[in-house]
Amino acid sequence: MSGEYLELISLDIWHIAASILNLLILTLILKRFLFKPVQKTLADRQGQVDRIYREAEDSRAKAEEDKAFYSEKLAGAVEEAEGIVRSASQRADRQSDEILAEASRRASDTVKRAEEEIEQARKKAMDELKNEVAELSVEIAENVVGRELNGEDHRELIDSFIDNL
Amino acid sequence: MDSINITGAKILFTIPVFGGIRITETQVNSWIVIFGIFILCLVLTRGMTARGVSKRQAAAEWIVEQVTKLVRENMGEEFVPWAPFICAILGLSGFSSLSALLGMYPPTADLNTIAGWSILVFSLITFYKIKTNGFLGYLKGYTEPIKIFTPFNILSELGTPISMTFRHFGNVVSGVVISTLVYAALASLSTLLLGWLPGLLGKIPFLQVGVPAVLSIYFDVFSSCMQAFIFAMLTMLYIGSAAKSE
Repeated sequence: MSGEYLELISLDIWHIAASILNLLILTLILKRFLFKPVQKTLADRQGQVDRIYREAEDSRAKAEEDKAFYSEKLAGAVEEAEGIVRSASQRADRQSDEILAEASRRASDTVKRAEEEIEQARKKAMDELKNEVAELSVEIAENVVGRELNGEDHRELIDSFIDNL
Repeated sequence: MDSINITGAKILFTIPVFGGIRITETQVNSWIVIFGIFILCLVLTRGMTARGVSKRQAAAEWIVEQVTKLVRENMGEEFVPWAPFICAILGLSGFSSLSALLGMYPPTADLNTIAGWSILVFSLITFYKIKTNGFLGYLKGYTEPIKIFTPFNILSELGTPISMTFRHFGNVVSGVVISTLVYAALASLSTLLLGWLPGLLGKIPFLQVGVPAVLSIYFDVFSSCMQAFIFAMLTMLYIGSAAKSE
């Protein structure tokens, strides 16, 4: 074996000092180049997570607000639609009532007019029948009596007779 | 047969000041380890983003979170800023021991290295005891529960760094010693069994292939991580309890 070696168990104040210094230097290195950047990154991430949560909360609050707004609007719209339907159906009812009333009025007018015409026709027919019967009666009576009756004299008599039928 | 020498670190050169500062493998390898950890930090934290985490970044975050958690659980919330120090102990101890895998002389096999760390930890323990109890309270602590206990209390106080030093040092060195012994034994055995092979073949120590790797898994990998963890744990517990004691 070549070269000089330390004893297996030996103490050297400079080596101890160097060891202490080495440990302190490594501590500073780890602090500056490992812990600081990692902690900064972790803090950044925490910040991002916080921000995302906050944004999510905000969005949800806004969505709730919108939902309330629109459901209110929707309720209003439904009410309005019901109102429209109701007024329309009322108007339709009214119109149909009017139409029915008009129709029945017209029908009853027509019936009345028809009845009057029938009455007139009946009267006319009656009068004609009366005249015919009167003339026929006079003729029959002339034949029975054998002489010409004075039509004018007996007409009143026959008319009263027919009226009494 | 070669004689087996188990020595400390090789002295590379001596700076001729203060009666000669010897620069050994321990120093150089410590710097290599520190530089390696520094490069690792730079690689792991390069291009870190808050979203879309890469594997490198996940590893960096895992290390920081685990060490911070460990410190928080063992020392309390107010000691969380100490996490880089604990991480430095874990990293320096672990990677120093693991450097043996690369055929380097592990700095943790040098008593001076561990002694330095223990002295630093002991200073911190004492600092926190004085900070918590006041200087008089700290001195008074040695006379409890009765005055006659004072020498034992001093002994036990000094015992803390010494036991920490030798626990770590002893574990690493025992690994080095056993590995060296087994390596030498296998070389001899190889020569004995296969020495009859002609020419160069007889000189190749075939038995050294494989067997040391198994030992290395225990002494270099498992024991390295274990001792780093134990040293860090003890540091946290001692400093934590020093800061809490009445």
